[in-house]
Amino acid sequence: MNNVCEEQQYSSIFSTHSKTVFNFIYYKFGNEEKAHDAVQEAFVKLWENCSKVTPDKAKSYLFTVANNLYLNVLKAEKVKLKYADRHTHTTTYESPEFVLEEKQFEDKLNNALNSLPENQRTTFLLNRIDGKKYAEIAEMEGVSVKAIEKRMHLALKYLREHIDGI
Amino acid sequence: MQENYLAKWLNNELTEEELATFKKSAEYASYEKIAKASNKLKAPEFDQNKAWEQLKDKTKTNRASKVVVLNPFKNFLRVAAVIAILLTGSYFFLNSLDQTYESQLAQQTELVLPDNSEIVLNAASKVSFSEKKWDKKRAVALDGEAFFKVAKGKKFTVTTSSGKIAVLGTQFNVKNRDGLFTVSCFEGLVSVTYNSKEIKLPAGNSFTVINGNVSKGTAQRNGQPSWLNKESSFTSTPLEYVLAEFERQFNIKVETQNINTNKLFTGTFSNSDINLALKSISTPTQIRFKLGKEKVLFYDENTP
Repeated sequence: MNNVCEEQQYSSIFSTHSKTVFNFIYYKFGNEEKAHDAVQEAFVKLWENCSKVTPDKAKSYLFTVANNLYLNVLKAEKVKLKYADRHTHTTTYESPEFVLEEKQFEDKLNNALNSLPENQRTTFLLNRIDGKKYAEIAEMEGVSVKAIEKRMHLALKYLREHIDGI
Repeated sequence: MQENYLAKWLNNELTEEELATFKKSAEYASYEKIAKASNKLKAPEFDQNKAWEQLKDKTKTNRASKVVVLNPFKNFLRVAAVIAILLTGSYFFLNSLDQTYESQLAQQTELVLPDNSEIVLNAASKVSFSEKKWDKKRAVALDGEAFFKVAKGKKFTVTTSSGKIAVLGTQFNVKNRDGLFTVSCFEGLVSVTYNSKEIKLPAGNSFTVINGNVSKGTAQRNGQPSWLNKESSFTSTPLEYVLAEFERQFNIKVETQNINTNKLFTGTFSNSDINLALKSISTPTQIRFKLGKEKVLFYDENTP
């Protein structure tokens, strides 16, 4: 039987998709702990239903489950994203003014991202951080590629309008 | 500019011409800045190995219960449910069935009904009734011969293949053998329905149907059928029925040779002493007999 009950099949699905599921939920709701839980629950569900899910359906199954889990719980909570420290190994030759300016810009970008509508933020970050193609994001969200392009377009527009000084 | 050109731009899908136009626009610099800055963003650390270990713990318990505990238990429940249904089903089915009492050949059986009415079954007879519904309906089905002592109460009916007998409280005998149907009333009043005709039978009367011929006779008031005293009595009964009764009482096979079994017989034979009984039958009818181990042969006196 071609399903994900096979240990090897299951673990390879985990290593391929667990990080993306984590990010997906994190971008949506800005809650690291809940994103961890979502990964656990989505994969437990996948295991429980392993006989009914074929490997090629496993990916969209995971995202649907993860999304549904926190759809109602976290919608109301205020999103506060934080990102891993990007400046751990900075040996820059740039002027302090430039560094400061850049830092300020990043803060503004963060604020704007936090206030971005959830589906636009998720699309934008999956593309920018995870390098996901529009088609992939469309599959995760269960919408058309065109809809993802629209979200991307609107996200960029919104960010530009909400970052002061540009 | 095409639809969603910002998304296309990030994906390098703009035509050269469009790109040139876009680069000239005032916003281009800001978008470039956003794209560059967002490129440097990183998601929080995700420890995949730790998550995998956690997950394994969770699915392991799941797996164990799935294979070892859940399934056999489910199967057990399934079997148990089926058995429970069968048991309750058969309990109700058997309960709804009538109780049946039977007497063997050369045997009498006495039984007391729930309302203390009594039934005595003569040899090779059978009654059945519903004990559950006895309070609502006093009804028994009879095959053979039986004496009834009915306690006073609601209508008491005896159904036989020949006719139906209804009483309120009385003592009577019903004999229903192949071709022979006799009801004798010893006390009270008995109502006999035969061929959908109702006949009232007061105490001291009997009603007999032999091969469809109805006749009326007498019965001893406050008496008992003779068979309760281990005797079989007959009044103008064809010999064939007398011999059939003899067979039942002694559990022996009767054979006849050159004998007119339609000959009427009036008399009594003992149900306990076979030699005496044989004499009681043979002497008045002038028939000879030979008693073997398992059968009796009756033959004409004149036959050599």
